[in-house]
Amino acid sequence: MIEQILFYVFAAVLIFAATMVITARNPVHAALFLVLAFFNSAVLWIIAGAEFLGIVLVLVYVGAVMVLFLFVVMMLDINLARLREGFVRHLYIGVPVAALIVVQMILVLGSGAVDPGALPDATLPIPDPAETGNTTVLGGVLYTVYVYPFELAAVILLVAIIASIMLTLRRREGVKHQDVAQQVRVRKEDRLRMARSFGGSGSTSTGRNDNEHPDR
Amino acid sequence: METLYLVIVLAPLIGAIVAGLFGSQLGRVGAHRVTIALVGLSTLLSVYVLTGFMWGDRTTFDGTVYTWMVAGGIEFEVGFLVDELTAMMMAVVTFVSLMVHIYTIGYMADEDHNWPETSRLRPNAYQRFFAYISLFTFSMLMLVMANNFLQLFFAWEAVGLVSYLLIGFWMNRPSAVFANLKAFLVNRVGDFGFLLGIATVVMYFGSLHYGDVFNAVAVRPDQTMSILGGAEWQVVTVAAILLFIGAMGKSAQVPLHVWLPDSMEGPTPISALIHAATMVTAGIFLVARMSPLFEYSEAALAFVLVIGAITALLMGLVGLVQQDIKRVVAYSTLSQLGYMVVALGASAYAAGVYHLMTHAFFKALLFLGAGSVIIALHHKQDMREMGGLKKYMPVTYWTMLIGTLALIGFPGFSGFFSKDAIIEAVHHSDRIGAGFAYWCVLLGVFVTALYSFRLLFLVFHGEERMDHHTREHLHESPKVVTVPLILLAIPSVLIGLLTVGPMVFGGWFGDSILVRSGHDALGAIGFHGVGEFTLHAFKTPAIYLAAAGFAVAWYLYIRRPDLPAQLQQRLQTPYRILENKYGFDDLYLNVFAAGGRGLGTLLWRGGDVRLIDGLVVNGTARTVGRVAAVLRHGQTGYLYHYAFVMIIGLLVLLTWFMFALR
Amino acid sequence: MTTDAFEIPNLTLALPEIWMLGVACLVLVVDLFSGDRDHTPAYWVAQLGLLSAALITVQAQWGLDVTTFDGNYVADAMAVVLKVTVLLLTFLAFAYSRDYLRERGMLRGEFYLLSLFSTLGMMVIISAHSLLVLYLGVELMSLSLYALVAMRRGSPAASEAAMKYFVLGALASGMLLYGMSMLYGATGSLDLAAITDVAAAESRLLLVFGLVFTVVGVAFKFGAVPFHMWVPDVYQGAPTAVTLFIATASKVAAVGLFIRLIGEGLEPLHGDWQNMVLLLAVASILIGNTVALVQTNIKRMLAYSTFNHIGFIFLGFVAGSAEGYGASMFYAVTYSFTVAAAFGVIMLLSRQGFEAENLEDFKGLNERSPLFALVMLLLMVSLTGIPGTVGFYAKWLVIRSVVDAGVMWAAVFAVIGAVVGAFYYLRVVRLCYFDQPEAEGGPQPSGSGGFRFVLAANGLSVLLLGLFPGALVAVCMAAFG
Repeated sequence: MIEQILFYVFAAVLIFAATMVITARNPVHAALFLVLAFFNSAVLWIIAGAEFLGIVLVLVYVGAVMVLFLFVVMMLDINLARLREGFVRHLYIGVPVAALIVVQMILVLGSGAVDPGALPDATLPIPDPAETGNTTVLGGVLYTVYVYPFELAAVILLVAIIASIMLTLRRREGVKHQDVAQQVRVRKEDRLRMARSFGGSGSTSTGRNDNEHPDR
Repeated sequence: METLYLVIVLAPLIGAIVAGLFGSQLGRVGAHRVTIALVGLSTLLSVYVLTGFMWGDRTTFDGTVYTWMVAGGIEFEVGFLVDELTAMMMAVVTFVSLMVHIYTIGYMADEDHNWPETSRLRPNAYQRFFAYISLFTFSMLMLVMANNFLQLFFAWEAVGLVSYLLIGFWMNRPSAVFANLKAFLVNRVGDFGFLLGIATVVMYFGSLHYGDVFNAVAVRPDQTMSILGGAEWQVVTVAAILLFIGAMGKSAQVPLHVWLPDSMEGPTPISALIHAATMVTAGIFLVARMSPLFEYSEAALAFVLVIGAITALLMGLVGLVQQDIKRVVAYSTLSQLGYMVVALGASAYAAGVYHLMTHAFFKALLFLGAGSVIIALHHKQDMREMGGLKKYMPVTYWTMLIGTLALIGFPGFSGFFSKDAIIEAVHHSDRIGAGFAYWCVLLGVFVTALYSFRLLFLVFHGEERMDHHTREHLHESPKVVTVPLILLAIPSVLIGLLTVGPMVFGGWFGDSILVRSGHDALGAIGFHGVGEFTLHAFKTPAIYLAAAGFAVAWYLYIRRPDLPAQLQQRLQTPYRILENKYGFDDLYLNVFAAGGRGLGTLLWRGGDVRLIDGLVVNGTARTVGRVAAVLRHGQTGYLYHYAFVMIIGLLVLLTWFMFALR
Repeated sequence: MTTDAFEIPNLTLALPEIWMLGVACLVLVVDLFSGDRDHTPAYWVAQLGLLSAALITVQAQWGLDVTTFDGNYVADAMAVVLKVTVLLLTFLAFAYSRDYLRERGMLRGEFYLLSLFSTLGMMVIISAHSLLVLYLGVELMSLSLYALVAMRRGSPAASEAAMKYFVLGALASGMLLYGMSMLYGATGSLDLAAITDVAAAESRLLLVFGLVFTVVGVAFKFGAVPFHMWVPDVYQGAPTAVTLFIATASKVAAVGLFIRLIGEGLEPLHGDWQNMVLLLAVASILIGNTVALVQTNIKRMLAYSTFNHIGFIFLGFVAGSAEGYGASMFYAVTYSFTVAAAFGVIMLLSRQGFEAENLEDFKGLNERSPLFALVMLLLMVSLTGIPGTVGFYAKWLVIRSVVDAGVMWAAVFAVIGAVVGAFYYLRVVRLCYFDQPEAEGGPQPSGSGGFRFVLAANGLSVLLLGLFPGALVAVCMAAFG
């Protein structure tokens, strides 16, 4: 009973937060509402007994992703008025379409199509939550039955790393930067040239610094 | 077994590809060596196959090499049917082709002179020529070895294509271009019938494979179909006549013969290879191969007989008035093709095919001999500028004489046996039109002797009419020219003596040719050995007619050389008719070609410009342009537009298939 | 415990994917340490890796029909055919684009790397046997492709194309994922075989609901109308090398995706998706032909005509029979090799600072390079579907399967579509052979001997396959036999 009440409370907050994400005028506010939405869904997961997912959601999304996101939003100057203009201008056509899809979804989902009891038995036995923790089970499954998808996910992350480095790292021509290793390695002969003067020519012997060297 | 046949077919193809694509790298010598070696290989193996059938225990091979596709239960395949008939054709085709390959080295030696300095085609013309004749050999082998109509058709068209390329080989000459276009168009008429014939066969007998079709024909020979207004026709008759129309195109039977004389515009080796010995016999081969089909239709056979008889006589007559040495031989070819067709029409397939073989040898010989004369006279072909060449070109003269004797049917020579067998067969045949055909072929013998010796006397005897400059340079042709002549002369003399017994009367062709009981005109002759056959010939009019032809020719061109001109004066009307070749050319040019052009112009003005261009094409283009413009507008470049289109698509699918269709 | 039921997966069965992953990582390391400006070692490692992967695929998986990794992975004949095709297409893409990218300063190790990862993703899709793996495969493939499109950083067009591709791709992925979650909700399993069983037992609205979303997701990957809007922009914006890759390999992978997820997995719902597929096919042929007619840029022309061919591939699906899938597969395989060669010719004629993109650039090609004019002729004739080339068989097999399925009007429509296609394909042939080049002579073919050789072989294979299609047809049909 108390679980159900809690569920509806948090679910209501979640929906409110999600609505605010897409309607808030200020992008910072929107991001913060998103954080709120994440928190609420984490709670819902924990109520459902999936404490691991709940924690991960908070740690990864709220702790890392959203912080980064806020960072970007604050650093970039996004012209909100222009974005909003389009949003409003196309609302008259967007809303009916969205409404239609929603109606259809309700028709389908509300027609008793989703009936947890009618689902076939799960292919794997579900262990007693009291005995083994959610995390243990997930870990066990991830490295056995789902090892293939798990490895694939790892490859996808690798691709993401490569792609992001490729798209952002660039070597600009003509940028002067310090090469410490080269500075340390440098020897006297590289920099200093002894010029001997012969009598009568009048030239002086000087050590000349290589002014053109970019390391200077 | 199959590999052997594949090698025979593919060797010339490889030669053609090598010489054609890598001609410039190979050089002239490399190109002719490669092609000759490969065609030689093909010849050796073909002869081996033939001997296997003659004296060995080689049996009929009928198998699929490659299944191209299967549609609606009909298999499209590449396959070989090799039996006695095929083996003989393979040997003839490859042998003549090999001779021509060798001969070409000499004939095309100064090929460069035939092209303008600036022509881009000039450097590789020699190699290209070899590539073409090898390609022709390949196509012809595919044609004779086919075991199904599809392959037959493709090979048929390939042969036509190569012929087109070769007639127009000197494409800088307008006359050559005109000739090859003419050959192509006339053959198109024939091929149209041919294709319809194949379609009829597939439609009513449900297969492309020869064996299946022949079996189906034998089971239901009386099947009928209705064409145009409900008249019932026997399917076999319709199919046979349509196929024969195709054969008429390729084998130049009246009225589709007009392309052959013009095709002499091509280089002489081509005239020998394609337009005398092999390609034009494709039609004869076709009918012989289809004998299980033709045999069930009296009407079709009678049609064949009459067409052949008309061709045999009329074309021989035209040969009498020609002045161009190659054209005389060309009309002679037409006439002889007529003889072959007559034999087919009389159900004497063996005799027809046999004449095909002997004719291939002696006609190739005559053409190559004519070519030799042409080389000696620096590419002059008019007989009025020749004469007395005998002493300058002895080898050419004697071999030409052998060819001529074989052609007129001098007893003992190969042509004698084949031609006499045909005449006798027609004599014994009781088909409708056989009487008419008999008179035609008999008169044809006289005409043949007359024009043959006219040619020989005008060219090699009598007064030397060429100009001084040419006479000084007269000499016998080089070895590459004379050796093929000699090699061709040998079978022209001997092959008849050796093979007439088994091949024509001995039923050597076995199952490859079907003659129904009651049709067997050859059997009615009664053959008792070569000697008896020769002696019997002296009791028939043919041999005396030939002698008369020789005598007349001798009198007119040796004894009284002034007479022909007087005769020409006296007999103006018949002469003009012959000169104009009965007006076929004028008819086609002025009525069909001009009419076609006129109709085309009319349709172009009325239909194309106004209706199609104005309404359909431009209208469509405008519509398409407008629609495309709208669609292009859809391609706005705005991301949210794109996304929105996707959502709409989703919505449509959802609404339609979830709620409307369920 | 769940681990009790766990079987050690058969790793040798999945050797092709493992090998490809190894190759990709090796390329990463080799390229990092080689320091070669032309990335030659990376190129050769990648090419050898691709060819050996194709061999390994045939060795390890031909003639089998088994699953491993607890039903997540399947190896069967279809997987072999499609994987080998994808691997060879990647090989061709690398061979064609090397000179092109080098001249434009775009040749970087990441090009090979990301393409290899994308290829790996395609292989994963082709061998997937559960919703989860399918989705991961799609993401692996797409993510790499997004980055490849954006590779030309200095170009606003490329960035814009990448952005559009990415956002729309994410949208489509979302729909796909949503559909998959519906399927999971309705059947309680991620395993495709289990889903098939449940779907066969009872037809439920929820399944169809999920089906619609998955169809949309798959159609996006194909670029079928109306989920096609990204295609022209991406084709034009991306470097030609990448366009080639997207236009060929990813389409073949999409065929695998469709057959695995919808064709086989949702086979009991055939009655439901048949008409959806038909609708998409007809719309694709219609729009593709109409717009391709008026294009003057050959890359855009190829892009729009792609819709036409996708329509044909979808038509093959309509029948839902083994012959239909075989026909679609044959179509996709042969089409992608043909188009790969067409892009190859475009790259051959391009050089630094000049893209042979306009149809005018092909004027009088025969004068400059008879061989490649012939190749272009063969390609265009094959794309038109004229007998004697392989394109004819592809079209013919598809149309036959449609006729067998009893949708006569669609077959007639397809034939008309093919005829219209002849107009813009044969126009290229006309330009190559009958038109005089522009005043300056037009672009000369450039490129190394290896490139030319591979391209010529690729082009002539179109003719060869057209003359002897039997073996490939048999292989494609056997894959579903």
